[in-house]
Amino acid sequence: METRRSIPTAVVTGAALFFLFAPLIFVVMFSFHSTTSLTLPFEGFSLRWYREVVDDESVRRGLLTSLRVATLTAAVTFVLGTAAAYGVSRSTSRLTGPAAALFVAPIAMPALILGVSLLSFFSERDVSLSTTTVVIAHTVFVMPIFYVVAYTALSRIEEAQLEAAADLGATPWYRFRHVVFRQVLPVLAAGAALTFIISFDEFIITFFVIGNDSTLPMVIFSRLRRTIDPSINAISSMLLFVNLFVWLIAVIFTVRAEGRRRRDVARQIEDL
Amino acid sequence: MTLSVADPSRAATGAKRAGRVPLLLAGPSVATMVVFFLIPVVVVLFYSFLHGELWQVSGPATLGNYDNALSSPLHRTLAWNSIVIGLVVSSLAVVIGLAVAHWLHFSAGRLATPVLSLVVASMFASYLVRIYAWRSVLGSNGIVNTTLERVGLIDEPLGFLIFNRLAVVLAGLHITLPLAILILYAAIRPIRADDLWAAEDLGSNPVTRWRLVVVPLMAAPMVNVGMLIFIISSSDFVTPQFLGGTSGQLIGVQVNRYFRAAGDYGKGAALVVLMIAFYAVVYAVLQGILRLARVHKVDWG
Repeated sequence: METRRSIPTAVVTGAALFFLFAPLIFVVMFSFHSTTSLTLPFEGFSLRWYREVVDDESVRRGLLTSLRVATLTAAVTFVLGTAAAYGVSRSTSRLTGPAAALFVAPIAMPALILGVSLLSFFSERDVSLSTTTVVIAHTVFVMPIFYVVAYTALSRIEEAQLEAAADLGATPWYRFRHVVFRQVLPVLAAGAALTFIISFDEFIITFFVIGNDSTLPMVIFSRLRRTIDPSINAISSMLLFVNLFVWLIAVIFTVRAEGRRRRDVARQIEDL
Repeated sequence: MTLSVADPSRAATGAKRAGRVPLLLAGPSVATMVVFFLIPVVVVLFYSFLHGELWQVSGPATLGNYDNALSSPLHRTLAWNSIVIGLVVSSLAVVIGLAVAHWLHFSAGRLATPVLSLVVASMFASYLVRIYAWRSVLGSNGIVNTTLERVGLIDEPLGFLIFNRLAVVLAGLHITLPLAILILYAAIRPIRADDLWAAEDLGSNPVTRWRLVVVPLMAAPMVNVGMLIFIISSSDFVTPQFLGGTSGQLIGVQVNRYFRAAGDYGKGAALVVLMIAFYAVVYAVLQGILRLARVHKVDWG
């Protein structure tokens, strides 16, 4: 495709990248600062804030809670969302439309409103708030994103493949397991990584439905109210590194699986 | 006409069913969304007509919560702030997002993938980290003020950088801009570059090109992204707490106060119901305008 230089849009893009990254770079940079100062000039590199944070009991507990919540949310959403997207993409029922609308609807709802409605609901039903209610709330919150990713991947699989498998005697479960699931797993894994990251970072809904436990964002929130100190920079940077790490793994996994699939197809074409 | 079992067309439809699965597979998800999404919203609707006290509600039904929500001058100020800040943030995000998407698709060439990856990477900074980052940039001991002081341009910290609407807008834009870029980039990709440059080769200037080609083709995604970002930024209740000062407070702060600190679920619920109604009306009006402008459906050919 022909590309043409465009100075105005290039300038806006450069400015947007600067705007997005400059504040974050400052946060990461001062997490490695050797003094309590959060201003330039940079007086020296040190890991003392990370050491302080890692030794901090509340941070450690928050991290574990966040990991547990995010893992459970990703797992529950993976199972529910994959089944839902498979059902909707392969059914001819007239109810597929309303069902699909229900799965994506929460995306239009502000997190604040999701949070307070779930709080009202749990209080109405006398459900005590805990990490379980957080996992439930996060599942509702991330379902639209996982559903759209899963639906896009699943609806791309051609009907003919399933028919061929059925002709050869494959049961419905076998067809799903060996024809469908194998092909979409890389995309579903990327979707699950995304839901993990969103849940790991989520603050607004968590704030309303968590009860006495604390996730890592809750720990940051309580410190934000008190002071500004480089330990917040260290926690924030760790959060960012975890997210990027999870995403990197997902990308590598997806790219490799895609490469393998392409090689398989190329080999099959050669065999012909 | 009679059909025998061996009829090939019949066999074909039989095999076709192999690709079908019952919608029942979606059952557990439907149940989850009904119980934990639809019913909670209905509960809030009910609560908005009940008297709330000490994190409990009680009857009889009343319109007092709505009276409180609509008559309080504080609520009017907060609602006005939310609308203004929501509009400013969503307009900026859409305009900047469109420019970046345009550059990525039509001009970036080999730079597209790395720049797009940077945008995606920036999304992974969490919400609170962004708010914290802006506080440490704009605060009186922040990067901007201390650097200006050191250089000698100012003698004391610039007070107008933080604790006002400007700071809330900057953080709001920071939170939503990556989303705007990614969605608008996905939407601009079907436009073929050859068509765009053909318009230019035939003598149209860049302004005409944007006005007659890019903006009409992108109107629907721009409106939808704008709406999404308006909802996110106008309902924010954490950013105003840390960056808003007295002038930059939004309606979400009051919702939070009712539900958490005051324990008055009734008054909070009425505000929430009014927010949902407001967003629904704005959405309907925007879709109506798109329909009248006949840009809601573009045939990509």
